[in-house]
Amino acid sequence: MPTTDPSDAWQRLPPIALVFLVVRALQKFVRENLVVFLGAGAGVAFVERLGVREVLLGASLVVLIVVAGAIIYHRRFRFLVEDDAVRVRRGVLERKELRVRFSRVQNVQLGEPLYLRPFGLVQFSLETPGAAEREVELPGIPRRLAEEIRDRIVGARAAAGAAATPGDEQAEPAAGSSARDIGSPPALLHAPGRVRVFVHGLSSNQVWVVAGVVLYVLDLVFRQTADSLAMTQLVSWLEAQFSAGWSTLLPLVGAVLAGLLAAGGSAALLRFHPYRLHDHGERLVGSGGLLERREQTLRRDKLTGAVLQQSPVGRLLGCWVLAGLQTRSDGRGGDVGQHSFLVPGLRAEDLGLVGLLYPGAAVPARFEPIHPRYRSWWLVRGFLVVTGLLGLLLATSGREHGAVLPLTLLLVLLPPLVWLRWRHWGWWLDRTVIWVRRGLFGQRLEAFELAQVQQVQLRSSPYLRRHGLVRLVLVLPQGLVQLPFLSEDRAAALANQALFAAETARRHRV
Amino acid sequence: MTSRAPEETFANAVLAADSLPDFRAVVLQPVAPAYRPYAVTAAVLGWLVPLGAVLIAWAAAAAGLVPAALGALAPVGFGALLVIAMINAVFAAVDARRRAWALREHDLIYRSGVLWRRSVIVPFARIQHVETVSGPLERRFGLTRLKCFTAGGSGGDLTVAGLDLETARRVRQFLLERIRDGEDDGAAVSGPHEAPNGADD
Repeated sequence: MPTTDPSDAWQRLPPIALVFLVVRALQKFVRENLVVFLGAGAGVAFVERLGVREVLLGASLVVLIVVAGAIIYHRRFRFLVEDDAVRVRRGVLERKELRVRFSRVQNVQLGEPLYLRPFGLVQFSLETPGAAEREVELPGIPRRLAEEIRDRIVGARAAAGAAATPGDEQAEPAAGSSARDIGSPPALLHAPGRVRVFVHGLSSNQVWVVAGVVLYVLDLVFRQTADSLAMTQLVSWLEAQFSAGWSTLLPLVGAVLAGLLAAGGSAALLRFHPYRLHDHGERLVGSGGLLERREQTLRRDKLTGAVLQQSPVGRLLGCWVLAGLQTRSDGRGGDVGQHSFLVPGLRAEDLGLVGLLYPGAAVPARFEPIHPRYRSWWLVRGFLVVTGLLGLLLATSGREHGAVLPLTLLLVLLPPLVWLRWRHWGWWLDRTVIWVRRGLFGQRLEAFELAQVQQVQLRSSPYLRRHGLVRLVLVLPQGLVQLPFLSEDRAAALANQALFAAETARRHRV
Repeated sequence: MTSRAPEETFANAVLAADSLPDFRAVVLQPVAPAYRPYAVTAAVLGWLVPLGAVLIAWAAAAAGLVPAALGALAPVGFGALLVIAMINAVFAAVDARRRAWALREHDLIYRSGVLWRRSVIVPFARIQHVETVSGPLERRFGLTRLKCFTAGGSGGDLTVAGLDLETARRVRQFLLERIRDGEDDGAAVSGPHEAPNGADD
């Protein structure tokens, strides 16, 4: 290991890392500009005005700039692994040097994209509580080096425990240390099969987001090529299907739906299969991925909560997803996103896993409801808004307006929707762990220790005060958790308990 | 399954909710008296620009630079804006009266809002850093704002507005000492401190 060697020196990334940098920069460019390009048909107008050749020329120029930027970034990038920290020098226009202490790291990720695999290289990244995104990324470093850094990060606490420095965060008591840490093999906590992972993909909301984008792009392409012969034929074929009635239309819709679901399921297989969650004592390791093998290492002592989530489709299919929550500087750590520590493919009988991930948490059998006035509040306001809009539309545009039918439908559906939303709101305090549930068609159950509370807020509007109610807001390291329509006494009791827990906990600031 | 030793020890110490100190029982200290004139001035100043714009339009109409119809509308606009500015000023005065704060042994409480009210309680053990900020107008009134930052993104910041310079300095110093004590002890709990509450001033 170069770091223990006296000849410690700044290291460079291997040439193959350039591929990763270019791919990532292009992805970022497309992601950041796609909306602008597609938005309001601006892209179409742009292409129409300039012509394909100019657009291609522009695209080549963008690629050139991106590649040149990546080359400069790659040439200037240096990293140094020290005994207790990693240092990175990077930047194209602005040079940045940062040093991240291992004791601050809350999770580590090792990715092995296809193109790095033949070289025995991996993409290493780590996250700290202060950063909204991954703070350090080392693409294309040797697997052995990455694993050694990872082990140092995880071992940082144990090492620090021996030389406890007062005032240093490393002096925290080594939580989660068990016999398993000392040489015993890691315990396998969860290993969903192919089918479970596929079902996870079916129930993921991402399918519908992707479908929305695909439909939008298809719409744009359709408008662009509406005059071409192929498109005219397609349109007349589609018209024939529509006019033929439900018997031919249904299989068509079914096929599209099945295709979408299959795509979602396959994407989950590519990302997760064969998924394994291992308990290494102080750390949890989730690994999997068919094309890009990924290994996420989460330090247990840096977990600030856990969330169990079920999408509407997931509810039909009995599929849950579990995620570990951590501190985020943008307060969005509570969102379960692509970079979260996700455990896919849970069935109802696997929910006990939450207690293994986040000790002390067990899914409660029942939840305390919020006040029923929540329903009347939303019903009255919902009715007022929708009927107001409807009245305005009928007065100005008449019954023919396209929005009249959906608004009328919304008016009819409002009571059951509000009732469903109210029914999902709930909370339960189980010793020191509080659970908060919410949802409409899907549901989300978030668990965290009261001692994690950073701040307690009680908010009230004139309406809430008139009925002796408040909205309780608990600020957590991962973001805000709210409980609306609680009785004043109940909210105050919860607030007092949270404050007591936070003020007496022997836990450092995150 | 692994255990988290410190939390489990702590878990046994949980008390019945009604035996815990109630934050509602704390008598809050109003913000500095100078905050009220400051808030009213700030509210009025904010409306000077639109009021000035209307006056200019009025003058321009009188000089024949813009259509006369606009000139006829100007007094109505000016009157409406003046009424809004006055309501805003009254609202600011009422709001200033409702603002209050208190330091307990282990946390800071701040209450604000007239229609939409908010009480915020921040445990010292969770404060990451503290800063005082004051704008030019605040400085004229001898006021400053105290900002406490905790984890949890922008939702985790508390701004205590309406402290006089000396109180803000003392509170800031007190909080910084408590943060340091907490870190030195390796625990959030530390011995009782003399709270520099406004009541002692």
